[in-house]
Amino acid sequence: MRIGVFVCQCGTNIAATVSTERVASAAMALRDVVHAESIQYTCSDPGQRTVIAAAHKYALDRVVIAACSPRMHETTFQRTMAQAGINPFMMEMVNIREHCSWIHSDMEVATEKAIDLVSMGVAKVRGQTPLFSSHVPVVSEVLIIGGGVAGIQAALDIADAGMPVTLVERGPTIGGNMARLDKTFPTLDCSSCILTPRMVEVKHHENIRLMVNSEVEQVRGYIGNFEVDIRKKATCVDEEKCTGCQICEQKCPSEAPDEFNAGVGETKAISIAFPQAVPLVASLRKEYCRLYIKGKCGICKKVCPADAVDYEQEDELHTEKFGAIVVATGYELFDWRQAYPHYGGGLYPDVITSIQYERMLSASGPTGGHIQRPSDGAEPKEIVFLSCVGSRDESIGRPLCCKVGCMYIAKQAILTREHIPDSRTYVFYMDVRAGGKGYDEFYRRAQKEAGAVYLRGRVGKIYPRGGKLVVMGADTLVGENVEVEADLVVLATGIDAAAGAGSLAQRLNIPYDQYGFLSESHPKLRPVETTTGGIFLAGACQGPKDIPETVAQASAAAAKVIVLLSHDELETSPMIAEVNHMRCIGCFKCREVCPYHAIEEQGLRDGRRVAVVIESLCQGCGLCTVACPPSVISLRGYTDNQLIEEVTAVLR
Amino acid sequence: MNGIVDTIKNVLKETDLVLGWTTDPVTGVATPARFHDEKEAEQAVFDSTCAHNLAVHLPRLKDSRVGIVAKGCDARSVIELIIEHEVQREQLAVIGVGCGSLLDVKKIWRRYGYGVAIKDRDDSLLIGGEQVNRDEFIQRKCHGCLEADPDIYDVIAGEVTGEIPTDTVRPHPLHDMFVSLTPAERRSFWREQFSRCIRCYACREVCPMCFCRDVCIMQTQIPRWAGGAVDAKQSEMIQLIRVNHLAGRCTGCGECERACPVGIPLMLLLDEQNHAIEEMFAYGAGASLKARPPLLVFDVNKDIWGKG
Ligand SMILES: Cc1cc2nc3c(=O)[nH]c(=O)nc-3n(C[C@H](O)[C@H](O)[C@H](O)COP(=O)(O)OP(=O)(O)OC[C@H]3O[C@@H](n4cnc5c(N)ncnc54)[C@H](O)[C@@H]3O)c2cc1C
Ligand code: SF4
Ligand code: SF4
Ligand code: SF4
Ligand code: SF4
Ligand code: SF4
Repeated sequence: MRIGVFVCQCGTNIAATVSTERVASAAMALRDVVHAESIQYTCSDPGQRTVIAAAHKYALDRVVIAACSPRMHETTFQRTMAQAGINPFMMEMVNIREHCSWIHSDMEVATEKAIDLVSMGVAKVRGQTPLFSSHVPVVSEVLIIGGGVAGIQAALDIADAGMPVTLVERGPTIGGNMARLDKTFPTLDCSSCILTPRMVEVKHHENIRLMVNSEVEQVRGYIGNFEVDIRKKATCVDEEKCTGCQICEQKCPSEAPDEFNAGVGETKAISIAFPQAVPLVASLRKEYCRLYIKGKCGICKKVCPADAVDYEQEDELHTEKFGAIVVATGYELFDWRQAYPHYGGGLYPDVITSIQYERMLSASGPTGGHIQRPSDGAEPKEIVFLSCVGSRDESIGRPLCCKVGCMYIAKQAILTREHIPDSRTYVFYMDVRAGGKGYDEFYRRAQKEAGAVYLRGRVGKIYPRGGKLVVMGADTLVGENVEVEADLVVLATGIDAAAGAGSLAQRLNIPYDQYGFLSESHPKLRPVETTTGGIFLAGACQGPKDIPETVAQASAAAAKVIVLLSHDELETSPMIAEVNHMRCIGCFKCREVCPYHAIEEQGLRDGRRVAVVIESLCQGCGLCTVACPPSVISLRGYTDNQLIEEVTAVLR
Repeated sequence: MNGIVDTIKNVLKETDLVLGWTTDPVTGVATPARFHDEKEAEQAVFDSTCAHNLAVHLPRLKDSRVGIVAKGCDARSVIELIIEHEVQREQLAVIGVGCGSLLDVKKIWRRYGYGVAIKDRDDSLLIGGEQVNRDEFIQRKCHGCLEADPDIYDVIAGEVTGEIPTDTVRPHPLHDMFVSLTPAERRSFWREQFSRCIRCYACREVCPMCFCRDVCIMQTQIPRWAGGAVDAKQSEMIQLIRVNHLAGRCTGCGECERACPVGIPLMLLLDEQNHAIEEMFAYGAGASLKARPPLLVFDVNKDIWGKG
């Protein structure tokens, strides 16, 4: 065995606190080490050449590189190994930067620790055996979950690159929350005007298959080869036949809540969400339909000129294969009613949410673009906006910022002045966060041009008085209590991940936080990747975002997908689990804990039943290795004996 | 209600063998036996010297239809073995017996001589004709008894009381002493205990849940978790590994401690761990056929944040 140890100075990053020379000379004393030296920048081109030259000169068969985190440069040095003619897995990286020099200041202590870490690395690499990657074919089809602007953008980008896309949306139409907006900050271009053409493009793109009223039920497999069960829910309407004439909706006698319009106005049990819906197909909600509640009706079927209504329709279960998945499930507004009883808790009809206001502003909305008080339909003159309702509020355990509230309040204030020129708007705010390009200017415009009065402070109470609402707050800048008599109060409610985001994340095996927002793999360097290979994030499902950011992230995710699927085959990591068949007792505890279903039962010729790892499925997570009582299943490159040797080395 | 002999005879009609006890002709106390036919079954007994947990044999009888006589504690092992797929419920006929606490025969022999006559009747225990305080000679494992009557059975032989015998409802005899020790004192307590370990592996051999036996980590060198030397440190290490392997699986049957020839109080370790598992996961191994061992499930649908 001939081991070479290379101790990186990383300029002064390491050398300032660790004597790399001393570490190198201490390494020389370790068993089987035939060469050790300190290098200024090991990852640089000359640094790598030094390693290669030493490998040839000293006929090294194993290498330890004491430098930064393997997350940073493991692949770099694996390539160096290959160039030196050594199996890339015969290299062990020891982290003496993040784990040592950066967190210590005493040179003596840090150097001692670095020596310990290096001796662990040497002990581990001594037990290393060459490993070889294999290749698995990649499915070129892409699954996108969620048809908001994020999902739409990603779908179009990927489809334009020539890859087939399936876009799964659980609602009856794509468009997501953006479809409900009137105009958009900071340019005030109309939301539908920019979104609708993209939605139509999705519908007609030859590489996109659109599945609405559908949800992902189960996900199996791994990067390049996911197998997904998708349930398409029965809507009692044949998508192929329906022409979108809406005659059924006009004739339907059963009223139903209008979710698209956030409860402003009502719709029917059979309906189309909005005139620009894609696909433009009606769907029937059985829970509101007279036929299903009372057993008698059937009007829609009678009046449909296309014979598209089919009460017998059943859920369809599709199982499809995908190479990559983009999650774009977006957000929903935090339900403020329980948390804010002092704002009426939902009892006062004239306290509404920002998205309801957005629907009133929209010319194609339920009020035809007229701002009306829900209580009496009158045009309000005094309108009060409250920012941060369910955001940045530690008292209810929601410290997060909704990111878009400040900006859309400014937008809604400007639009209010346009709709009702003699109106007055007041904004109770915490801080105004207007960090984007042109955003601060936009918010100033709300003050200057629209005359919005900004009052800094949280509102303590809202209560009705003589047909109006009294909003009691504090102006903390002046240090006074203020009271505004309002006709209408609009709450900028906080943002949560879409309902069910958490359980979807569980099914996809990706992490998420307490609001259900899905976690990226690294906040700076891997912002659209998840910790599961082949699954990417786009839009507000990852955290509150405005449209420009959402679209940028969606295109970034699309680029990652395109890169991934531009190869026909993927190299798999050889660091996977392996069962020692001769010692396996066939208890199958490994199979029970394996999250990737990578373990199956096999009969040996002597009749014993043992476990075997399916190499293409195993992700090397190591759960099985700890579940196995006699420890006969181990992770290649991290065998129990290697780890024991490491521990022994540090205790020596 | 049938006695043990008739019940075993009946069960033999549908099984290949029955695991039970017979009386050892030399010592006069119970010893495990396998009954294959009616004639053999004539020799079956059940009394307060039937301390052995016969479930330990089940993993090696995967291909037979097995009848097994089980006390409350043994039944928990049967349940846990079924949960871990070591035996199938369908291949078993469980003959349940009620238990009114067992005698520590070794202790009696040590005091009164090997093979001394033991008569255990209702409230009186006669040893060599002398009336003694029964309480003093109860098996250690019966202290803290969880179930006197089996939770799983196909037939019942004899009587079941439906109650845990009152004299057993208290923890391990050393428990109070042990919890009063400081961490340092506990260390030296265990060092002292394990310095007596002779590495006979009896603790593992009698444990129904230690079914790896031939490839058990206590002996293997790949991986080399512990050296082969018989010294306190190594013995302590292998026992700690064993205890860990039984996390969420040990049914508290107490066989390991009973079998240990040098009297190491292993149940102090296992009881402590069992309580921790109970508290953390609300799981007691062998308590119910429907439960799933917490350390053996990867529950993708468990929503830790309650979102969705
Ligand atoms: C009142 C208000 C005003 C706003 N105004 C502006 C503005 O003026 N300018 C601006 O830039 N931004 C604005 N925003 C922010 C903007 O709405 C978001 O940036 C944008 O909608 C995010 O898009 P998305 O695709 O990520 O999510 P979404 O629009 O939420 O789309 C997600 C889609 O995924 C679907 N979905 C969810 N879960 C599943 C599932 N499990 N399976 C399948 N499908 C699923 C949903 O049905 C939905 O169609 C505003 C937000 C609010 C609340
Ligand atoms: S390491 Fe084990 S548990 Fe993890 S994926 Fe591979 S086989 Fe499954
Ligand atoms: S857990 Fe270990 S012993 Fe049990 S089946 Fe799996 S590899 Fe074999
Ligand atoms: S460890 Fe001891 S008490 Fe626990 S199941 Fe095994 S033998 Fe019984
Ligand atoms: S100690 Fe562990 S490896 Fe050994 S038999 Fe028991 S469970 Fe198996
Ligand atoms: S039974 Fe006792 S002596 Fe034997 S190995 Fe176990 S602890 Fe040691």
